[in-house]
Amino acid sequence: MDTDQAPFLTTSTQGIDMIEGDITLPSNRTNSNELSTLDEPVLDTIKRDLGAVLRKFGYAVVPRHSSTLLQQWDLWGPLILVTTLAILLQSNATKSSAGAQFAEVFTLMLIGSIAVTVNSQLLGGKISFFQSVCVLGYCLLPLLLSAFVNNILLYIPTKSTISILHIIRFLVVMAAYAWTMYASVQFLGKTQQPNRRMLVLYPIFLFYFLIAWLIILHAHPK
Amino acid sequence: MFSDDGFLSEKFSDQSPSQTHIFTSFPNSAVDPDNDDFSADNKPANNLSYEYNPSNSQPSSLPLPATANTSKDEQFHIWQLEYYQAYFQIDTQQVIERLLCSMTPRPNKSYFDSTIRQNPDLYGPFWVCITFIITVAVSGNILTYFYVPDADFQIDFSKITLSAIFICFYWWFMPTCIYFFFRWHLKRIEYTFVELLCIYGYSLTTFIPISILWMIPISWLQWLLTIIGSVTSGSVLIVTFWPTTNSDKKRFNALSMLLMFFLHLAMAVGIMLVFFHVSDRNIPTRKPTTLLTTMISSAKNKI
Repeated sequence: MDTDQAPFLTTSTQGIDMIEGDITLPSNRTNSNELSTLDEPVLDTIKRDLGAVLRKFGYAVVPRHSSTLLQQWDLWGPLILVTTLAILLQSNATKSSAGAQFAEVFTLMLIGSIAVTVNSQLLGGKISFFQSVCVLGYCLLPLLLSAFVNNILLYIPTKSTISILHIIRFLVVMAAYAWTMYASVQFLGKTQQPNRRMLVLYPIFLFYFLIAWLIILHAHPK
Repeated sequence: MFSDDGFLSEKFSDQSPSQTHIFTSFPNSAVDPDNDDFSADNKPANNLSYEYNPSNSQPSSLPLPATANTSKDEQFHIWQLEYYQAYFQIDTQQVIERLLCSMTPRPNKSYFDSTIRQNPDLYGPFWVCITFIITVAVSGNILTYFYVPDADFQIDFSKITLSAIFICFYWWFMPTCIYFFFRWHLKRIEYTFVELLCIYGYSLTTFIPISILWMIPISWLQWLLTIIGSVTSGSVLIVTFWPTTNSDKKRFNALSMLLMFFLHLAMAVGIMLVFFHVSDRNIPTRKPTTLLTTMISSAKNKI
């Protein structure tokens, strides 16, 4: 056995070279970014995320072709918009029913977004669930602005049932509705094949119409 | 992919290493010349199921009938989206055609046989019902808005819920009844459940413009619209169902047709009375909780 092992030992002792060095991971850009975002100050994180949200608002207001809205989706914008809208749409309410009204509006928008998204997926759209919810939420911005204008206009007292103020409010909300539809058609219309585009756009039209109707009929507590 | 004699070559075996069983030889009959998208999982009996695969980018200009191939149920389960995609294989043109046909009764031609039977879809009925619910709720609220001073008006969300429950119930209840009637009483399955849902969903199309017109607060006009709407869509329903029930006893068929028409009329009248009816003694009041008392008082006024 020794003779068998001996050549093995001798060859092995001759064959081994000592290898020295450091093992480092190849540093991709994402790797170093991920590592460094843990260490950065909270203010930087907030500024970066807020910047992303505001940039997406910009895309929703002035629709131009970009893949940022779809690829880097986030749900902050929709959450802020839907919550603000639900607060604005609270009207003359006692303490107990105010919460119920907020919940009604919020639930309506949530279920509406889900229904529209599932519909576009069932029709064979190439967009994922959260991307679609993100786009639908961000495109609500014009309607939110019109709700602001509406609330301000409601402070002006009016005597008759249908006055010029009603008409102005109606036109403002309709303009915002058209703007919203245009923005979402730009983003969501392209994700579907042409012979089914109207089938996908019609539920979006219904969804925003429901929200516009809520804004129009909103009356201010005296 | 295929060698000359129609057998799969060995190249498939290295495509998905996680597979447990690899089919390496198929008979010639398994080749489907229309389907040019094969993966390693393909079994010959389920060629047609890949038409509905969302990753398959073939535009479906000629959709396959959803009722034709039941073997795809082995592939997709009820909790997967692809299971329901089979019922959404439809184009804009087809939807518009079906909507128009469901509003115009033609005495001898049942539009169901010519359009729906090959490809029942759930898109049309579902969104027609949702639109109907929305128009009823919105119009009902607008009607109340004009009667009540601005400060006291509140949007009545209970109208949306009520109309949703009522209309969805009708849309599901009638097809269920008819399906079981066919199955147990007449002992043959003439229509699948999806086709019945389709028929009833599209029959509600007439009521969408009518529900917008119901806003006009003239009593006789509302009644007139109700009657016109239910006669139109009811006759479409009768034309659709008449051929299949015609073979047996005549009186029974006439009675069942009449019952169906009567239920349709009752649905329309019910919606009109609950949400829209304006008479001199019945002005809609402001609080949402009085919806119930409005219903009761309008019922009392009718008696």
